[in-house]
Amino acid sequence: MFKTVRIDRGPAGFGGPLVITPTEQRNKVVCVTGGGFHPVALKLAELTGCELVDGFKTGCPDDQIAVVVVDCGGTARCGVYPKKRIPTINVMPVGKSGPLAQYITEDIYVSDVKVENISLSDGSAPAPAPSAAPAQAARPAAATAPAEKGNFLARFGKAAGKVVGIFFQAGRNTIDITIKSILPFMAFVSMIIGIILESGIGNIIANFVSPYAGSLPGLLVISVICSLPILSPMLGPGAVIAQVVGVLLGVEIGAGHIPPSYALPALFAINPQVGCDFLPVGLSLAEAEPQTIEIGVPTILMTRLVTGPLSVVIAYFMGIGLF
Amino acid sequence: MEVLAHLATGFIALFQKGGSVFTGLVTGIIPTLVVLITAVNSVIGMIGEEKVNKIAQLCTGNIILRYTLFPVIAVFFLTNPICYSFGRFLPEKYKPAFQDASISFVHPITGLFPHANSAELFVWMGISQGITQLGLPLGELAVRYFITGVIVILIRGIVTEKATLYMFKKNGIEV
Repeated sequence: MFKTVRIDRGPAGFGGPLVITPTEQRNKVVCVTGGGFHPVALKLAELTGCELVDGFKTGCPDDQIAVVVVDCGGTARCGVYPKKRIPTINVMPVGKSGPLAQYITEDIYVSDVKVENISLSDGSAPAPAPSAAPAQAARPAAATAPAEKGNFLARFGKAAGKVVGIFFQAGRNTIDITIKSILPFMAFVSMIIGIILESGIGNIIANFVSPYAGSLPGLLVISVICSLPILSPMLGPGAVIAQVVGVLLGVEIGAGHIPPSYALPALFAINPQVGCDFLPVGLSLAEAEPQTIEIGVPTILMTRLVTGPLSVVIAYFMGIGLF
Repeated sequence: MEVLAHLATGFIALFQKGGSVFTGLVTGIIPTLVVLITAVNSVIGMIGEEKVNKIAQLCTGNIILRYTLFPVIAVFFLTNPICYSFGRFLPEKYKPAFQDASISFVHPITGLFPHANSAELFVWMGISQGITQLGLPLGELAVRYFITGVIVILIRGIVTEKATLYMFKKNGIEV
């Protein structure tokens, strides 16, 4: 008898959860990790009762595979099996990447999986008695791989591969965020700055805003307005308002209309509304009860009226002697 | 005809200026930013989330650490917006205060550690561009922004915590 398992993604993972029920036809867990069986594959075989196959040593017809375990750093293996629509578990934290990225979808692929991410899908803890027999069936297979830990060279290679994988993933994430967020905002900001500097709007702003932004009472007025509980949730989204005002003030500071010593208090004056639009979502990320959210959100909005202007005063004194 | 040509020149000049600003941002900021963010992401990847969770939970008991070190660790390691999930380590009555403290830190951290909120860099960068233009150094401003941020989130945390407890009591909720 085969059992259904549920596999969730790990903390840095992508995709899933996958629910896998092996059949008489698809009854093999294929492990393509090199250097013996990966603990994740062992656990899968134990829970499902599937036969464990080392993909590096023996081939296995695709139509017999229930699930495949890989340790791919983001080029080939992680895409090959999803392309064939075989459920794929990657023990590395790799998302949609590599030349086959388009096939890596959440319904067929899950990554950064650790042993504790695997559970029987009825939600109960694995019952020891029924799973004992399949576990024993799996063990001999594991034992036939004599160098389960691998020799020194293999272990060194794996460790090095893991570290390089982390660096590579870090680089990939960075380039992603640069292209998706940083560059578009730079384009937007450049357009605004260009128009302000060339068109003469800059002078109007200098006359209108600088008197406010260039004095402590003026900054306090700005911060009180931004922290009004009716306005603050509307000024929050994506910090776009704070960023645009930041750019405007930066231009004025650069042009000499606002003294640089006001930079620090200004950073707080334009931002007392930070995240006010996001509070309910943030609180639900913190797994707060609905009741806590109901009370917490208005409470934060109200305290911002006090702590917003207060932050400007603190920043004003923290900025003394800076420029 | 001359008027039209004059207008066209002026019109194009708006965007030529913008273009040179864009070139400045891309060549001046992006290379360092990309390498810095990659380095910090690598360090975070090596340390791993589980270890960070363990260390962070040590800071939840003390009221000072709860609204200084705890949100700083959350924002640094988990970055905006996943950092708010650290609230799950706290009892319900502290969650709004932690939310207030952590979300207030997502911009003060960007002066030193842009990886933590790389989609919203221009609160800091907008203003710091002006300082750069004056030929003044940014380092100390970034450090003071960070430190002031920590002081501000401590105050926000404590004020919101007291206010939440008051509101809980007023609504007859057990704390």
